[in-house]
Amino acid sequence: MRHELPQHGDLPQHGDENVVHYGRPSPDEVSFEVRRGEAVLLLGPSGCGKSTLTLTSNGLIPNVVTAQVAGTVEVSGRSVADHPVPTFAGDVAMVFQDPDAQVVMATVLDEVCFGPENLRLPASEVLVRAEEALRTVGLWERRHDDPSHLSGGGRQRLAIACALALRAPLLVLDEPTANLDPVGVEEVHALLRRIVATGERGVLLVEHNLDTAVELVDRVVVLDHNGRLILDGPVRQVLTEHADRLLRLGVWLPQAILAALRLRQAGIDLTPLPLTPTELGAALDACPVLPAPADAADPVAPAGEAGVAVEVSGLTVRRGRVPVLHEIDLVIPAGELVAVVGPNGAGKTTLAQAIAGVTRPPRGTVRAAGVDPARVDGRTLSGLVGFVFQNPEHQFVATRVDDELAHGLRIRGVAEDELARRVDDVLSRFGLLELRDRHPFLLSGGQKRRLSVATAIICRPQVLVLDEPTFGQDRQRAAELLTLLRDLHRTGTTVVVVTHDMHLVAEHASRVVALAHGRVIADAPPADLFADAGLLARAGLRPPPVARATGTLVRHESWRAVTRLADLPTGTAVPA
Amino acid sequence: MMARAPRNPVGLGAEPDLNGSVLDLRTYNPLVKVLGPIAAMVVAIGSRDLLTPALFAALALALLLVGGRLAVRTLGGLLLGVTTLVAVMTVSFGIWTDPAQVDHTHALLRLGPLTLWSGALETGLATGLRVAAVVLLALLSGLTTHGADLVRSMIAQLRVPYRIGYAGLAALRFVPRFAQELDTIRSAHRVRGLSGGRGPVAGVRRYAGYAIPLLAGGIRHADRVSLSMESRGFGAYPSRTERRHIPFRLRDGVLVVLLLAAAPLVPLLVHHLTGGTP
Repeated sequence: MRHELPQHGDLPQHGDENVVHYGRPSPDEVSFEVRRGEAVLLLGPSGCGKSTLTLTSNGLIPNVVTAQVAGTVEVSGRSVADHPVPTFAGDVAMVFQDPDAQVVMATVLDEVCFGPENLRLPASEVLVRAEEALRTVGLWERRHDDPSHLSGGGRQRLAIACALALRAPLLVLDEPTANLDPVGVEEVHALLRRIVATGERGVLLVEHNLDTAVELVDRVVVLDHNGRLILDGPVRQVLTEHADRLLRLGVWLPQAILAALRLRQAGIDLTPLPLTPTELGAALDACPVLPAPADAADPVAPAGEAGVAVEVSGLTVRRGRVPVLHEIDLVIPAGELVAVVGPNGAGKTTLAQAIAGVTRPPRGTVRAAGVDPARVDGRTLSGLVGFVFQNPEHQFVATRVDDELAHGLRIRGVAEDELARRVDDVLSRFGLLELRDRHPFLLSGGQKRRLSVATAIICRPQVLVLDEPTFGQDRQRAAELLTLLRDLHRTGTTVVVVTHDMHLVAEHASRVVALAHGRVIADAPPADLFADAGLLARAGLRPPPVARATGTLVRHESWRAVTRLADLPTGTAVPA
Repeated sequence: MMARAPRNPVGLGAEPDLNGSVLDLRTYNPLVKVLGPIAAMVVAIGSRDLLTPALFAALALALLLVGGRLAVRTLGGLLLGVTTLVAVMTVSFGIWTDPAQVDHTHALLRLGPLTLWSGALETGLATGLRVAAVVLLALLSGLTTHGADLVRSMIAQLRVPYRIGYAGLAALRFVPRFAQELDTIRSAHRVRGLSGGRGPVAGVRRYAGYAIPLLAGGIRHADRVSLSMESRGFGAYPSRTERRHIPFRLRDGVLVVLLLAAAPLVPLLVHHLTGGTP
């Protein structure tokens, strides 16, 4: 379908595109335009080609990344395929997912000047633009700093400043917050809101943190599995009128909508559907009566006997002279699913690595699965405590998926027939059976992640530790992984997961350990944590959307404790 | 966390003010500091006596002390490092030198079959001093130059295409990232139980195992950086604005003449002092 929209002079225009990109589904005959002052959110199920589409907007596809493109993308009246990418720098500014991969220069100021300098602007003009861009993103005071000394959110704001300094009429952002902690996400979204509000630019955004993103965009464009454009319209209209269809398509929706859909099943009709937590809160308060929140048996309560899986006492870890962890004391009962949260640099990864013995803790400070990681050899330890690194590729040691799984069993001397049986079992449980003869590096991101978890659990460890397993992944892949973790947890494995993902924490964790500046500042069930605003602020966290909505309720006090979708009533209970 | 801050791999943390005092090495043209000492390094390496490398080392050290404006910690580390380097090389080369060449000198120490000859120590000391001289001469630029300034002066004075210069600068930022990534991969492989096995064969196999994830990560990162650079107009025109101009001034001329002159003058001076007998 083609939407004919009034066309603004020099703004990029996506013509009919049909991109074939490494054999993945990709945009197929997509046509839409982005106008100045308009913010467009691009939605679609995992792998439908959203990123591919953003890369066509200044010709990175097909000029740098090889792909076959049918149709045209026009910017300022020039087809992107026929001109070198750098010549579009003044027309389309790009911000990518990984803030680290967008830094070239050694200071913040040089970095922002880099783009305008490439455009051969006079030095005085370069400085004027750099100052304006840095002041907009709030980094002017830090202009002499090394970009790597900024926080994740800071570096992403820097990347946006670099884009702003080009003064391009279109700003394209591809998952700009996927690698950030909650504070970073908030910083970037607040900044984007200000940029959109100036009305000087068109914004094309791919984003999976939808709950705040929906507040800053005007229009939504939706692609289906085959990369075809199926919906294009105002954000509220598309998301509320087509919510069921989007859900079936596998498009992630804002939590407020998901909550309202769930409540609809319970007979509570919130029409029109709320988009944001604030609207959800207001809609709930507008209901004269609400049934009691679901009192369902807690699906994530500790399973099995109440032994101790991990005990940390007086753990202090230094990196060089700087203490990263101070005197940590922590007890994790067997069968818990514990989320370790906190701002970047709080020591979460260090703690997780000490528990799993990835870096040897001082003797006598940690006991995990009944042993002291400092006293047993690595092979014994990794059979008892599994560790999953943030980047799955780091852990791959074999050239085939099934060898990758067999490796851990083989070095432990498991008999071949038993080994084959266990490998097949895990392959099918993790949906990797058809991929068994592939090279692990050739799997997709989600498959790599599943394989890395599978290699850690095939030796049946009592404790599984994961370092930011949903980092940089979209919602569908994150959900896929969480289902796996919940199954493991149900079968009695103690799971410790380092994460920034408050949705994961609220819906799945049985306990939360919050770190700040190398100290434990909270150790409580998620609902208790999310009820304590002061604590959340100190831990650099934000309550999940459902908790934000219910936290403000005036009329229904018992609902204030509701922090996750699972707490919402479903099924037959209808208010009297 | 991927986001751990990598340290600036080379030189000064911030760009120096180029209009500072003549006695400040940081205000000099980076090319002069990098290329100027090369002749002296060659002469120092080629020398066989003790005095020539010692004088070169002393000259470089004097320049650094007067004009380097080094932080106390850097200075302390520098002095300690160079002294240790010379001491270790003196002793170790002293032990490894072929005794047949030095057994006409004094035997200073006998430990079982091992004899420490004074001639061997002297050879060791000379080697140590030569290395120290080269290191100190290289640090004239290393400790007083900002990496980006070196690239800028290469583009301005040597007419190096800016694409090469800035691509090199971007590549320098990969170094700490690579080191960190290698570290993570090593611990990841250890967790997988790959640490087993000793000896060179196991070692080579271990490192071969690190290569694939390291390369995969490196290539992906480089790809992303280049996408970001191209999107920001890198390479749009044959030239680009250089906001910061690195001049070649009188002081740079003087320094380069001084450094070039030192290369033949130091051996001449030594010859004069020792009367031709080393």
